[in-house]
Amino acid sequence: MLYNDHFGIYVDVAMPVEDKSKSLLPFLSSPKLLPNESDAEFQSGLQSLLSELDNPSPLAVALVSQLNECLWWIRRHTVDKELLLHEAMARLLSKAGSNWMGSGNSKLSVALEHYLDGSADKYQAGLVEEALVEANLTLSDLRVRAFKDAARHIKMVDDLIHRQHQTIRHLQRSIDSIDYKSRLIKRMDLELAALESKQPVKGALTLDAKSS
Amino acid sequence: MTQNLRRNLANQCNALKSTGPKSVSGKRASSQNSRKHGLNVAPDFESSREYRTLVDLIAEEGFSGFACADIATGLLNYRRVMDAYYDTYTSPEPVDEFLRDVNVKASIPIFRELLSPSGSEPQDVTEMASFFADMQRQERRKGGPVSRRSSDTHKLIRYQRNGIARLSRAVRQG
Repeated sequence: MLYNDHFGIYVDVAMPVEDKSKSLLPFLSSPKLLPNESDAEFQSGLQSLLSELDNPSPLAVALVSQLNECLWWIRRHTVDKELLLHEAMARLLSKAGSNWMGSGNSKLSVALEHYLDGSADKYQAGLVEEALVEANLTLSDLRVRAFKDAARHIKMVDDLIHRQHQTIRHLQRSIDSIDYKSRLIKRMDLELAALESKQPVKGALTLDAKSS
Repeated sequence: MTQNLRRNLANQCNALKSTGPKSVSGKRASSQNSRKHGLNVAPDFESSREYRTLVDLIAEEGFSGFACADIATGLLNYRRVMDAYYDTYTSPEPVDEFLRDVNVKASIPIFRELLSPSGSEPQDVTEMASFFADMQRQERRKGGPVSRRSSDTHKLIRYQRNGIARLSRAVRQG
């Protein structure tokens, strides 16, 4: 059992969802993960999405897999929005202090990254605090300015997130259509079976005769 | 027929007037488009083994022959776009840290020294410094790695939009 952060539930990753021999997924390139991402978490997300469908067809499974990938892209892009702010903050700090140019923007960027997530060592914290004093800024002031500075790129990331939402909507509609189609076929089969069981053989012949 | 011909000619004339990048830098940038992701090249899915298998498997779900072909093509095309999306995201143009961080004004004596064997004029040094400053401005405008990967990936939005619309249409109409 694996805990899925996204949905806040425990999911059985070994749960059989479909007949493997009929799966479309081996014939499609699989979504790739970044080096720091967990495959088990990705799979558990997929399984929890699949568990919401009642006996999904191979095509539905393939579409749900694409939907799961979209959710991952939304997650990645959301992290990117914060990273863009950090990048802009480092850029503004290095611009404000002329002596930082020699030491390089990337050094300050790494120090700031650690400083913001609370994992900075003494040297890195000193570096950032010194830069803030030199620029005559507080951390919140810097964040506000960075937001303004990175607005163009943040808008781009927002567009990317919006695109993933639209893609999810398309996939959802496609899955609903497959589900509706299979339900309709099942219902017609049941109705036909019910009719056949109710009608005596003689009646069926009469019907045939009438139609012809 | 004559009307079609006239319309085609008008379209071609208008296209010559309006489409495509005009500036040198715009032309240079767009000339690299297909090299980056290859999504402008028409794919040949029909001859692949995966396509035929997908068509057979989708046909088992009760779709018509045409719908199966459309769905299989749509799926393969969508995956192609998403693979390019991932590749673009994970390999942005690298940041030239030297060019970004170098102090151009402080480098003027170095430029002077570099140009001195050819008997340079002070104007040559100024021109070289302004050239470097221009390059640095361009490099800084591109931002860091996250900004670069965001703007590179942003260019693929239209391919993803077309890819998913095609797939979704094929499934719903099938």
